[in-house]
Amino acid sequence: MECQKVAQDFASILEELTCNSRPIITTLTKTAEENIACAQQLVDAIERRIERCVPNQKLYAFYVMDSICKNAGSPYTIYFSRNLAKLYKRTYLLVDNQTRSSLIRLFQTWLNHSSSTMGDHLFGKEALDAIEQFLIKASTLQQKKVALPTVSGLLHEIDKLASLTKERASQNSQDPRLNTKILVLKQLKQELQRESLAPQALQEVQSQLRKIFSQEQQMLRKQQQQQQPSFQNVSQNSSAVSSTPSQEQTPTPGDSEMIPLFGPTSSSAFFPNAVNILPPSDSSRQVNRVQSLYDSLAKEGLIRPVQNQSIVRLESVLAQNSNEISKITLPSLHLLRNILGDIKSHFSVYGVDILNTPNLQLCQQTIIEDNPAVAQLKNLLYRYKPNKCSSCGKRFGTTEDEKKRERDHLDWHFRINKRIKGTSGVNGTAVKNIQSRNWYLDDTQWQQFDDEEIVSTTRLKNDTFTLPRLGVVSEKDTFDEVTSTQNKAIATDESNLAKKRVVVPESSVEMSFQCPICREEQSAVYDDDTGEWVWPNCVESQGKYFHATCFHEAASSAPQQALHQGLERLKGLAG
Amino acid sequence: MASLPGLTDPLEPLNVAPDAHQQHCVALDAGAEWRVRIPQDSQLTLTIKQGIAEIFGTELALAMPYTFQGTSMAVRAVEDVALDWSATSPGDVEHRIVSEADTNASHLYNLHFALDKLRAAANAGSSSSSMSTSTDPRVLLVGERAAGKTSVAKTLCSYALKTRAQGPVAVNLDPQQCVYAPPGCVSATPISDLIDVQNNGWGHSTTSGATALHAKQPLVKNFGLERIGNNRPLYLAQVRQLAVSLDARLARDAGLRRAGVVVDTPALAELLIEDEKRDFSLVRELVALFHINAVVVCGSDDSLAVELHRELPVETLTIVRLPTSSGVVLTEDVQLRALQRNAIRDYFYGDATTVLSPYAVSVDFDAITVWEPESTVSGTLEAGREPQARLTPVEINASNLQHALVAVTYAGRRASREEVLESSILGFALILEVNDTRRKLRVLLPVPGRLPDTALILTASRYLE
Repeated sequence: MECQKVAQDFASILEELTCNSRPIITTLTKTAEENIACAQQLVDAIERRIERCVPNQKLYAFYVMDSICKNAGSPYTIYFSRNLAKLYKRTYLLVDNQTRSSLIRLFQTWLNHSSSTMGDHLFGKEALDAIEQFLIKASTLQQKKVALPTVSGLLHEIDKLASLTKERASQNSQDPRLNTKILVLKQLKQELQRESLAPQALQEVQSQLRKIFSQEQQMLRKQQQQQQPSFQNVSQNSSAVSSTPSQEQTPTPGDSEMIPLFGPTSSSAFFPNAVNILPPSDSSRQVNRVQSLYDSLAKEGLIRPVQNQSIVRLESVLAQNSNEISKITLPSLHLLRNILGDIKSHFSVYGVDILNTPNLQLCQQTIIEDNPAVAQLKNLLYRYKPNKCSSCGKRFGTTEDEKKRERDHLDWHFRINKRIKGTSGVNGTAVKNIQSRNWYLDDTQWQQFDDEEIVSTTRLKNDTFTLPRLGVVSEKDTFDEVTSTQNKAIATDESNLAKKRVVVPESSVEMSFQCPICREEQSAVYDDDTGEWVWPNCVESQGKYFHATCFHEAASSAPQQALHQGLERLKGLAG
Repeated sequence: MASLPGLTDPLEPLNVAPDAHQQHCVALDAGAEWRVRIPQDSQLTLTIKQGIAEIFGTELALAMPYTFQGTSMAVRAVEDVALDWSATSPGDVEHRIVSEADTNASHLYNLHFALDKLRAAANAGSSSSSMSTSTDPRVLLVGERAAGKTSVAKTLCSYALKTRAQGPVAVNLDPQQCVYAPPGCVSATPISDLIDVQNNGWGHSTTSGATALHAKQPLVKNFGLERIGNNRPLYLAQVRQLAVSLDARLARDAGLRRAGVVVDTPALAELLIEDEKRDFSLVRELVALFHINAVVVCGSDDSLAVELHRELPVETLTIVRLPTSSGVVLTEDVQLRALQRNAIRDYFYGDATTVLSPYAVSVDFDAITVWEPESTVSGTLEAGREPQARLTPVEINASNLQHALVAVTYAGRRASREEVLESSILGFALILEVNDTRRKLRVLLPVPGRLPDTALILTASRYLE
């Protein structure tokens, strides 16, 4: 189906949207505008993307949706309205604060957009209302969190610390230091209530308190572990707890206000230490202890719902988020640029046909003037084929055909490199393939030549190459002669070869001959049977004498070469 | 205290000699060119670290070392490029960066796409109807010496290869240039794969083994003389043979025909018949022989283009002027000799990436026949007679043949001079040594084997190993 393909392409580009890239968003919008018929699939693709991508990339997908809805309008707005509120809420809960404010700004543009044009809403009213409600709730929560340390907040923290220490003291009454600590905390509390300190001072007090608090918590946990193995499940997350002093999240009645807002699933994601908050249900004693702690705190009027959203917790949440951000290592700039460049050029020549490009008539004006069409076409020469061979720089496209060509090409490089490096001989030394220039083809052969022969990357080893014919008339005879000699040589096996012998010719002055192949002297021996001097292991070709074994080897040593090239070599040796 | 001997920095003396392999970095903005001139005795190695860079239209691979020697070239940044280079004698390497405004790249792109549109039209035309209205671009590059013709030819071929499976046929008509052949030749080569940027002669013709890039299969015609003026009829005869064979090849190979032809010519001064009136008859002849439909004038002003408008049949072809790049350098005679020497060496021995093994044989004086073309400079002509496309026999002795490059023809040893002249060539051989007393020659052959029993033609090139 056409739509499926469009949607597939669309989705694959969406995948590349890992940064806020205007060009990509623009191209995606354009695609959406051009393919209204495929609206449903494209909407699905975006929704899938929002759902599935990593939190910090969700915003960009929202931007795509925004751009499409604002530029293309219906039917996209209608399709998106259906799941908008759900998607928006989910995303909001998963992203960091910076992204949240971007999301809020985005939402504001939706409201403004709908009011400025014809009074129609960009998205369905229900969806927008739902998001608005959600945002109001969420942002009041957020605003509270961002406040500076207040005296009351600090007082509350001191109380917490005091109660924690008290609990330790109750378990470990022998330690006199704990009681002193409680005393000091009480004094601190009084100090705070009496004097109004500068915000910096308050912050300092706060950080000090937190330090003590976490120490205290650890101590307490140790004690509890010693006393109570059943508490194990709570302390599994000890590292998270020790770094986040938000032990106050006991299940108080006040919490009921926020639980519906974030839902049971989101609360664990949003408050990573919620695990520690849940009371250990398996231990009634534990419940009792927590309950008693809560009671004692409540008695002193220290627990109010608002305190559950104190800066202490906010800080821990934010710290968590910022850690995540710093952990993500971005790919290198040039890699990102490469990806972006590939996409840009893919789209800039998408559907471009050089035949329909105007102003490309071959004339002086075309050559001299800057032509925007050429700037676009230029991409065809480079990134339009994004896969570049790492050995030679040749580029390949993304179609199946091109991919096959690329594979063949790489295989070819591999084979060639192996051949250039040479094969390793029996004794481990590398045997380089010796090669030499070919003769040129004659006119007729060249006219018949197909360059596929030299550029083919799939050729088999034993395919024959077009080699120049040396069949000049005057040579015909010698040609045949050598051919027959050679055939004979090949046909005989090693043992027979050594038996070959040539009677020392009468014209020869010397009694030895030098084999032109191995350059060794071979002297004559007297053969009793025939009563003549002979050269053993010898064949004669074109008036030259060879070792029969050398001759045989030379004739058969180059299996990849066509018969007549081997011949050439032999003839050369003869010359 | 510091002036006391022994207390000064002990490393100082070591720093006197500059490190030959020190890496230098160059950063190029998109569109900029890095123009380098590397002397004959210096070797430069460069590696593209990042970005898209090309040399005369051929894109370079990333992180692969490319080595250059004795050449002038320009690395063009298509996108921002970072490259490292080192040289054996960095002080001798002249190099500078020029911005996009100083290059003719934009015009070259315009030219390429205008030609490519013709190719596309040829493709479309051939598939829809059998009528062969030849719209395939057949380009003739014309220009004075050092107008950047060959660089343009290379770039056009490379660009054409990027979008199509088959590149055009590169025709070199300048016997001083060495394109897939030693000097003294005219050649036609289908650019079926990448041009070798490291090789000053565009790359290798086929070998018996493996080459790092696909080798090319050129058709080579031996002119054998240095200047066209030395024997104009012979030059024209060889070019005609080349054109006829090219026609036959293109008639058979439709894919190649549609890719078109790019003809690179010698400097205009070589083509013109020198008298007070500039005679363009040879240019007209070339236009007719290669069925040229686009003449690209490489020049910095319009005067030549205007002149050609008068002289050429403008109703059958288009004349456009391509502004000369500011980066062209005049190849001086010394440099030209070095390039030609290297081309001969490459032909027999290969280059650093592809080592070839030539083969030396010894031959009797009686076993060879050597011809030589008539030439205004060799004394084979009687005074006042114009040279003809004719061969004259050469006496075999040391003074004639020592260190000479000879063309090995397909014509038999006893063939007539006309047959020899019309024959194709197998290649070249080099006379290493002539022993007049023993009447023996030692001949270096590119191909292992016997010296083919065919007629040889003496060329004007000499090469001393």
